Amino acid sequence: MENSKPKVAIVSLTSCEGCQFALLDLGERFLDFVSKIEMVDFRLLEDEEDDGGKIDIGIVEGTPITDANIETLKKLRERSKTLVVLGNCAAMGGIPEIKNYQEGKNTIKHVYKYIQGIDNPEVKEVDNFVKVDFIFRGCPINGEEFLKFMPDILAGKIPELPDQAVCVECKARGNRCLLLDNKPCFGPMIQGGCNAPCPTAGMMCQGCRGLRPTANVKATKKMLKAKMTDEEFENTSEIFGLRDDLEAKEKLEK
Amino acid sequence: MEIKINHIAKMEGHAGFMASVLQGDVKSAKIEVQEGMRLIEGILIGRHYKDAPIIAQRICGICPVVHNLTCIKALEKAMDVKVTEETKKLRDVMELAQIIHSHALHLFFLSLADFLDMDNDIKLINTYPEETKKAIRVREFGMSIIKTIGGRVVHPISNEVGGFKKAPNEDELRGIIEKSGSALEDALALGEFFKKIKIPDFSRETEYVALSKKGTYAICDGDIISSKGLNIPVEKFESNFHELQKQNEVVKKVEHNGESYMVGAIARMNLNRDRLNPEAHKYLESLDLTFPDYNPFHNIFFQMVEVIHCIEQAKKIINELLHADLNEVVTKEYKVKEGVGVAAVEAPRGTLYYHIDIDAKGYVKNANIITPTAQFLANLEDDIKEYIPEVMNLDEKIRERKLRAFIRAYDPCISCAVH
Repeated sequence: MENSKPKVAIVSLTSCEGCQFALLDLGERFLDFVSKIEMVDFRLLEDEEDDGGKIDIGIVEGTPITDANIETLKKLRERSKTLVVLGNCAAMGGIPEIKNYQEGKNTIKHVYKYIQGIDNPEVKEVDNFVKVDFIFRGCPINGEEFLKFMPDILAGKIPELPDQAVCVECKARGNRCLLLDNKPCFGPMIQGGCNAPCPTAGMMCQGCRGLRPTANVKATKKMLKAKMTDEEFENTSEIFGLRDDLEAKEKLEK
Repeated sequence: MEIKINHIAKMEGHAGFMASVLQGDVKSAKIEVQEGMRLIEGILIGRHYKDAPIIAQRICGICPVVHNLTCIKALEKAMDVKVTEETKKLRDVMELAQIIHSHALHLFFLSLADFLDMDNDIKLINTYPEETKKAIRVREFGMSIIKTIGGRVVHPISNEVGGFKKAPNEDELRGIIEKSGSALEDALALGEFFKKIKIPDFSRETEYVALSKKGTYAICDGDIISSKGLNIPVEKFESNFHELQKQNEVVKKVEHNGESYMVGAIARMNLNRDRLNPEAHKYLESLDLTFPDYNPFHNIFFQMVEVIHCIEQAKKIINELLHADLNEVVTKEYKVKEGVGVAAVEAPRGTLYYHIDIDAKGYVKNANIITPTAQFLANLEDDIKEYIPEVMNLDEKIRERKLRAFIRAYDPCISCAVH
């Protein structure tokens, strides 16, 4: 029997497409990856229409905002054995979700004069529409993590992330902990695997990768009270769609 | 008859194309935007100014650097924050690097295959492995600069109002200087390769608009000038250029004096080419083009010229920085105050404009962002309206390919256009 390559599609919904660029930016290493698969749809590099048939892995980035986005997403789920999500927008709502925490659908009035006929839904993560098998977290994703886990996914296995805070990698990079300088940081409650680029560049972790399974939200929030106001905490948690997850987790901790 | 392209691939964001032709007369030609709106300006309202550049840069995954920088510059204007010369220079280098890697991507991976009649980059890569490696190396040179200074390529981290959170590592900057020689060689070799491609002969007069500054090829700073004699400070941008929204449209197209106009590499080359660095200038001369140049396909050549220019310029500025005190880039204390600030920076695709209004506590009251693609979309449609008769009688498939090539030569970024 012929040993055929796994069929893969990379699709984007409404987004900055930065997660796809995080892949392209791997340069030759990404091309090596591409040579091991049959890419049936990757419109950043291909003009050819794909036939819409069954595939092994569907990869999707972005937020489902337009009706067409939702249809694309559902179609991709239907044809894929495994559905993999790329990045914070798809996984947690991303920056478009900020609108949910503000004036909601009315936010549009600040931007457009004519609002009829424009899709303006409440922002919802991809898993509200379809079943998701694996998530590459982050804004953007970490290309290294993609290369590390994709071989397993191609082999039909779903990788498990170690339950590890951003702090582990931050420390390994030799950074002085921001908390020690009385500066805020979400690192302790956030899932690692990004290699801590933000604290390494002097910025607090804002939680784009989401909560880690054993995160203790109450304790972290209490600890941060001395370093940021409640308002600052809430505002920061809205940037990457973390706020709804924090609230849900806090309820469970009660 | 109708000409319809459902989805144009190899372009940032989602869009199709639709034209209607009646007895040889092109009635309409329209880029159909299929991107959802994220309401970036709306969600900035009420946010703390420190979060604004972090949110705004996520408008675009190819050009986050320029969104971040322009937002920061507008905020600094609003609060009257002064930054050091070293900070300005380091920002310049980041923006040059932004242009290098964005252009290299568009030139080689998004547009080139169109002129070699290939519909798939995998074929392109297999046919031209050496050129592919060069294109990747040029891109990587640009990306390595952003990573060194900004901490990450997509959505860099270290820039903020007032300067940088952290000074870049000196050894890494030296490493960039070391690599700049081979990056320039690669770029020049790619430049020679691009000379061999056949570019359609098409031209339509338009107005070119770009930043301009005495003595330098303006990127981060300057006044707004045009090929029709406009010369205004950035503060007057919104009173001269008007955003228009039509019903059911999510892109607010921009007009100048009621007409479409063009920004980006082709505009900059038409207006500022006498300020290019030596190698870039030499390469431009070797292309043997006549100015004013109104062939939009030449945008590709001009992006190539800019890649060469930006490599030369980045090397020059990093050298200067290595002779200065790099710690001067680290943000110093400043006062938050109420104000309105505007800024414009040359993004890879043209002039990017930000207007931000903040209150006394530093919360955003209002924001307006005018992106290059929103500015040139009307020009693209006007161009293509005139181009259609030239390809009208071709076989349907070939015609569609020609139209895709035309649209892609513009290097539109639909994510930016909608935002």
